[in-house]
Amino acid sequence: MATKSSLLKVILLGDGGVGKSSLMNRYVTNKFDTHLFHTIGVEFLNKELEVDGHIVTMQIWDTAGQERFRSLRTPFYRGSDCCLLTFSVDDNQSFQNLNNWKKEFIYYADVKEPENFPFVVLGNKVDVAERQVSKEEAQAWCKENGNHPYFETSAKDAINVAVAFEEAVRRVLATEDRTDHLIPTDTVNLHKKPKPSSSCC
Amino acid sequence: MAVAAAGKVIYEQDSIFIHSHEDRSGDQESLVSGVLRLIEKDCEVIVEYKQLEDSVDSSSMLCAGKDSSSVVQWTQSPKEMSHKNLDNQLSYEAEWDMLNTVSFKKKPSNVDGASNHAHERSKWAFFFNVCDLKAVQVKKEGWSHLTIYLKDDTSLPDLHFHQGGSEAFLDCLKKYVSLNESPEKDVLVANNNSKGLSQSFENLLDDTTFGLIQKFKKDPYTTTMGSFSKVTKYLIDAFQGSDSVHQERPPTEMADLLNEAIPGLEINHQEEPGFEVITRVDLGSRPDVQRKEPVTLEDWHANMDNEGKMHNVNYIKHSIFKGGLCHAARKEAWKFLLGYYPWDSTKEYRKVLQKRKTDEYFRMKLQWKSISEEQEKRNSRLRDYKNLIEKDVNRTDRTNAFYEGTDNPGLLLLHDILMTYCMYDFDLGYVQGMSDLLSPILYVMENEVDAFWCFVSFMDQVHHNFEEQMQGMKSQLVQLSTLLRLLDLNFWNYLESQDSGYLYFCFRWLLILFKREFSFPNIMRLWEVMWTGLPCKNFHLLVCCAILDSEKQKIMDEHYGFNEILKHINELSMKLEVEEVLCKAESICLQIKNCKDLPYSVSEIMDDRNEKLIPTIQTVKNGTLEKGLIRTTAQMDDLSKNSVASGYDEVSRHRETSQNVYKLANV
Repeated sequence: MATKSSLLKVILLGDGGVGKSSLMNRYVTNKFDTHLFHTIGVEFLNKELEVDGHIVTMQIWDTAGQERFRSLRTPFYRGSDCCLLTFSVDDNQSFQNLNNWKKEFIYYADVKEPENFPFVVLGNKVDVAERQVSKEEAQAWCKENGNHPYFETSAKDAINVAVAFEEAVRRVLATEDRTDHLIPTDTVNLHKKPKPSSSCC
Repeated sequence: MAVAAAGKVIYEQDSIFIHSHEDRSGDQESLVSGVLRLIEKDCEVIVEYKQLEDSVDSSSMLCAGKDSSSVVQWTQSPKEMSHKNLDNQLSYEAEWDMLNTVSFKKKPSNVDGASNHAHERSKWAFFFNVCDLKAVQVKKEGWSHLTIYLKDDTSLPDLHFHQGGSEAFLDCLKKYVSLNESPEKDVLVANNNSKGLSQSFENLLDDTTFGLIQKFKKDPYTTTMGSFSKVTKYLIDAFQGSDSVHQERPPTEMADLLNEAIPGLEINHQEEPGFEVITRVDLGSRPDVQRKEPVTLEDWHANMDNEGKMHNVNYIKHSIFKGGLCHAARKEAWKFLLGYYPWDSTKEYRKVLQKRKTDEYFRMKLQWKSISEEQEKRNSRLRDYKNLIEKDVNRTDRTNAFYEGTDNPGLLLLHDILMTYCMYDFDLGYVQGMSDLLSPILYVMENEVDAFWCFVSFMDQVHHNFEEQMQGMKSQLVQLSTLLRLLDLNFWNYLESQDSGYLYFCFRWLLILFKREFSFPNIMRLWEVMWTGLPCKNFHLLVCCAILDSEKQKIMDEHYGFNEILKHINELSMKLEVEEVLCKAESICLQIKNCKDLPYSVSEIMDDRNEKLIPTIQTVKNGTLEKGLIRTTAQMDDLSKNSVASGYDEVSRHRETSQNVYKLANV
């Protein structure tokens, strides 16, 4: 665990059309393309960033959201350090499906301790006027389902996107930190300053 | 049992029942009551079940009534139960009946494999190390009962928690072994190996084995794949090193998982009957190939008689293959190429056909148009299709003038045709990628009905790409791998060494036939060339080979790994030049066809029964004959009849049988 490289694999999951690719592109290239194609297959982009003194390369994986492509999507879940569960606030169904996405991820990524795995939830498209999912609803779901951090984002208007990705990194570093010290606690202190991982093996 | 008992008890609960069928009376169930413990000893954690007494301790047992909504208190005393005699047998029957209405889907218990029963009195007792736990199935039928599966593939007798408490047991168990929920049937799959954190794809090869076991056991398809064990062994050796827990997994199980996870895997499986070893075959040099000028509308009409019947069909096809079509000729020619219009139809016939097809289209369009909001609320599949179509239409070729801006009529047509296709083929419905296939067709047709029927024909060809199990994609990846292996074993080996031998990075190419790789004008050219069905079957796979051929040097020189290969291939999008790629693909085709000792697995992919017609016509028309195109032995004909996995072959059969259009055309 302690020998882990500074490459973090983060995977974006969520229904088709919630804005996974747009979020990735906004974060990595700071661009928003209204003409962006829907993703076929799997893509990824790298981004180097510094969080709390740690320099990490985030490898963001973006997948096709339709159920049909599950068998070709799921092999890429392996080795993920963090999962960004994404829905769109103007699409209640995509919110309802968060649970399925989480399940699918845990199952195929072979997460050993799902309760401790860093998930971050993104409610995208807050720029859209007609909301179907309220902030409170989304927050409540996150609270009930493992106290996941929740961010309301807009890839279009560049709202909260970087913050959300950075939180993902913090979450991963916090988990690593804890595992390194073998503290079997069920609570994760989000604001704990992650210490540099020490090599012990 | 004494071994287990000596440690520290972490969890203990009594009144855990085993429902035994092996009672004296034979088919009745009797209950064994016992205590379940989790014991920690010498750093090991043991699960132990010991029965309290032979007789049933059912003093406080609850069981569900027939409708399973009522719970009935069972009041039989243990003594009476264990010493039942003929006298009271009858009076119990009613109650036993009630008990039996609770349907236990219990498999015959097999404790033999667990090798931990010795004494008759304790024949239901068992213990096992949590390391040996494979999965736990949680069932609820009035109460919870657990089926425990061990790694040696034995299952222990179901443990019935009549008084509840199964969750406490599982929670306690979870402290020592990671139990992951599998998406189906309440199965918790144990995983107590330490997970490697390597970012590379090879992880999927090993860890998948745990999570997917239950799922694939249920998949009948994989049961036929038992003979994959050799591949399994090969892959384990190749990727896992020596000290992995996974090597203990039954080989068939592992193979099933691998097969699912890595579609191209079968290629490795050389020793299996039906697959042959492709050793280095001397292919000879690649002939030079020249592309020609596109077929103009005048050329097209020049081959049409007064009735509007096409003549020299094979010549026309060949010309289109060599040069494509001028844009002006596309609207007409594509209808023939795609099979909407039969090649031998007259103008008159086509008029009738078009009228009939128009009616048919609008009838289907009306079907979804007339669904009320209320109805839609109760039709989740249609709703899902509709939502996704709406989203994807807004994300398809939006930079093309035909589809750009808001409220563009092109977008509405795209939407309506895809919705109508859902009614045409509701089982398939809408799958992402279909909007990509439709877009150039609609652009060329500029007509809703014609575009729809051309799209239907195109979909017939690639239907298998979009089907539920993605079988078409998988078999194509396998075929591509076979071809690549023949063409450049060195490169193929390199890809294998980077865990990329199953060619996942070609997924997008194959799913939507390069739509995202080429510019709009280029994709129209590529498709019309491919629709000619020339110069061999599965020419699109040779297009893949051609593109890879141009990239292989860079991939190997830069020593790209799994991720880099995927990234590199993805980033080729819109950078490819269609004429160049087509030249190379045709050249590769000729090179392979010129090879005398072509392995069966390769000729099977490329052989086409109709091929012999082409050079003949060519001779007539051109006076020249391309030697490379002749390959029509009787043997080959037989082979292609037996070929299984060819998409295009399936399509031609499909067309012959299921499409009224074509039947009509032949009358």
